[in-house]
Amino acid sequence: MREPLVHFLVAGLAIFAVLSWRVQPDDPASRVIDLSREDQARLSVNFAEVMGRPPTQAELDALIQRWVREEVLYREALRLGLEEGDAVVRKRLAQKMDVIAASAADAEKPDNATLAKWLRDHPDRFAQDMQLTFDQLYFTSRGRAVVARTLLEGGADWTKVGDAISLPAHFDAASRKTVSDEMGPDFAAALEGLEPAKAWHGPIESALGWHLVRLTAKQPGVLPPLSAIRARVEDDWRAETGRARQDAAYRTLRASYTVRIAK
Amino acid sequence: MRHLRHLLGASALLLTLTACDMTVTAGGSSPAASGDGTGTVPVAAYPERVYWGDTHLHTDNSIDAFGFGARLGPEDALRFARGEKVISSTGVPAQLERPLDFLVIADHSDGLGATRRLYDAPRMLIRDETLRKWHDMMHEGPQQSQRAVAELITAAANGTLPAALRDPANQAKATEEIWRRHLQTIDRFNEPGKFTALGGFEYTLMPDGNNLHRVVLFRDGSAKTSQVRPFPGLGGNVDELWDYMDAYEKKTGGHVLAIPHNGNVSNGLMWELTMPGGGPMTAEYARRRASHEPVVEATQIKGDSEAHKFLSPNDEFASFGVAGWELGNLPLTRRATPDMFGGNYVREALKRGLTIEARTGVNPYRFGMVGGTDSHTGLPTADENNFFGKHTGNEPSPKRVMSPQNLGTDQGRFGYHYLAGGYAGVWARANTRAEIFDALKRREVYATTGPRMTVRMFGGFDFSPQDFGGQGWVQAGYKRGVPMGGELADGGKAPVFMIEALKDPIGANLDRVQVIKGWVDAGGVSHEKVFDVVWSDAAKRPMSGGKVPAVGDTVDRAKASYTNTIGAKQLRALWRDPEYRAGQSAFYYVRVIEIPTPRWVLFDALRYHLTLSADAMKDAVAQERAYSSPIWLIPHKT
Repeated sequence: MREPLVHFLVAGLAIFAVLSWRVQPDDPASRVIDLSREDQARLSVNFAEVMGRPPTQAELDALIQRWVREEVLYREALRLGLEEGDAVVRKRLAQKMDVIAASAADAEKPDNATLAKWLRDHPDRFAQDMQLTFDQLYFTSRGRAVVARTLLEGGADWTKVGDAISLPAHFDAASRKTVSDEMGPDFAAALEGLEPAKAWHGPIESALGWHLVRLTAKQPGVLPPLSAIRARVEDDWRAETGRARQDAAYRTLRASYTVRIAK
Repeated sequence: MRHLRHLLGASALLLTLTACDMTVTAGGSSPAASGDGTGTVPVAAYPERVYWGDTHLHTDNSIDAFGFGARLGPEDALRFARGEKVISSTGVPAQLERPLDFLVIADHSDGLGATRRLYDAPRMLIRDETLRKWHDMMHEGPQQSQRAVAELITAAANGTLPAALRDPANQAKATEEIWRRHLQTIDRFNEPGKFTALGGFEYTLMPDGNNLHRVVLFRDGSAKTSQVRPFPGLGGNVDELWDYMDAYEKKTGGHVLAIPHNGNVSNGLMWELTMPGGGPMTAEYARRRASHEPVVEATQIKGDSEAHKFLSPNDEFASFGVAGWELGNLPLTRRATPDMFGGNYVREALKRGLTIEARTGVNPYRFGMVGGTDSHTGLPTADENNFFGKHTGNEPSPKRVMSPQNLGTDQGRFGYHYLAGGYAGVWARANTRAEIFDALKRREVYATTGPRMTVRMFGGFDFSPQDFGGQGWVQAGYKRGVPMGGELADGGKAPVFMIEALKDPIGANLDRVQVIKGWVDAGGVSHEKVFDVVWSDAAKRPMSGGKVPAVGDTVDRAKASYTNTIGAKQLRALWRDPEYRAGQSAFYYVRVIEIPTPRWVLFDALRYHLTLSADAMKDAVAQERAYSSPIWLIPHKT
């Protein structure tokens, strides 16, 4: 029953060992307090970060005395179990557990194989949008569009028919998102369903009115090679892996608990 | 159990000490993404489409945002802006229905990251009593934390911030690391042609709590922007900001501009007729102001600054989003009196610009308009049905609509006074840093209160109905006229404008399109007039008494819904100024009004089964709108 907890602690210990430059931390249960040169330097750095300058020797001495005082009281507080039932301590320690769980992902340098797999497994996040090249004519009513289509089929000059609108008549390799942003999602979906041809399609309704469309090229969204978007894939991997490890760590721990919520 | 505790205490300590160094190495960026985008993607011959973005977002690096509880940083904000789902600081999944095309994270330069440092600092090292009190309040819980920040903002407004937060040397050192990391982050997310992440910060000048804030925005990538640090604003004056901007351009060869916002809570100081501090405005000051600040943010969550009924009594659409905000300055430590309104609102500022120009020869307020969010949640949301609040204290919850919201004093301003926020529409030739920046610089941009309607405007003298009715009207507009933000030299003929508005493709229909004209008469007195130039259902809505009747209202209050059974999808007008006088200095901007739609408070009422107060109910439906940048008609100098 205890096993998952042990696993997690072992993982925590491993991280701890890797990152630790002070192999043997003070044991809060001990009554010996050691303050190494490194610890003192850290106090000094903390002071400088808050105050904007390094402490004087007198200030450092005072800092050390205060640190010792706090350490003594901290250990005695732990002996008395005062941290229990304290909302701030509780929350802070919980946050630190999350940091431990996610931190390995922060430090890790994923190799190409890991990222290539990540890319393959999440094509929707990295695939380029479908690209559409087309001419469009805008009409304020369906009837006008129908009439215009007949004219076009009779050989009329396409640049002379259509109602005026603030949309380009020609879209060159426009992304599906652009088409959707400008004419609405339904129109983009309709265009996606067309096959490139010389003929005019439509009338197709958009959010703004009616259109005749001549789709000349349609390029499906391709997945770029890892080398082209490595930074982005790594970024995505890191963010999600960190979160996933937090969740996994929590689930592992959670599994060893029985939670009873009174009705 | 005891062993577990010991282990945790020790290893967690080490982890917090090392965590900072570990995250910096993540990712990397291509040379294309880290520059200004020039030469990386094809550029259209003229702006063919609008790019949508927010020039004003705060993350947990902002001193107040963190204190209010925000825990989303720049990376989360960028993910969200480009369309990904993120979890808000209060644990609610958040996603935009439509991604943005660009984003400017503009964290406060003053005390950048300071609340987080204060929060994380060992308590015993905090010697200042006030700082220690805030530290304790921040750890006590969300409500106390928000109170601490309210106190902090008031202290900033009153100039009584503890020295440790104000000291420039201290600040500069602390800021450097955050800025360096931030620039790396935005370079990583900047994808020319797809999504633009611009560098910037907010300059928080606030004498006596009167809001003179500016977003400062860079055209360049980190090679240049890393040579400077965000410039602090508290306790300075705006001349120093312009000096800083000049120094940046000189040192790096780059470009930078500033966008003032929230004139509405400046108690008359944002757009003064005089110099700051009094005395007649000099041509030199006017010139510097105009050249550094080509655009203002006319609308955002903390109210709308376009026009006030006190100044524009004949405009039935004035005073949009002024309730609550009109009462006084930012922290409401000083009440506003009507004589201050002239310096608070954009339309009056544009008129004042003409007046000052008549006297000094320079127009300090020849600016364009954008909308922004000023959200302090890391989430640039401006849609009414997806409003994540001004700050983390009013992210979605049953209480936020009716809660007092004005920071310190709990008077006069309530949750429902917040607008859902605006966006900037930018007519650029491509989606890169350089192209977006240049469009802002030439003012070819417009503000909306959230909906993404398309607004085109060209000014010229010889546009004909044939030009306007043909497919080539946009090209004609660029060739023989100027787009919004442009200037026309008076040639003795009335100016003609080609104007088109398209509804937001997934939003509400349009009620009407108006031209707002401001001018100065021969006696040096400024005037304004609102012209309804085209409106929906015109056959059923003839103008009467110089006004177009109201469009109607389809909003179902109980269901927070509306129908597009009224209004138009497209409105266009070729409009010649019927009141043109040769030699008169004037500006013209377009205001597009949507049909009434539910505001975010109705969505909250529906979501949380709330009964709204009468005041909140009065504010529950609105006609959202867009404001174009003006076109100026400039007489020959004699």
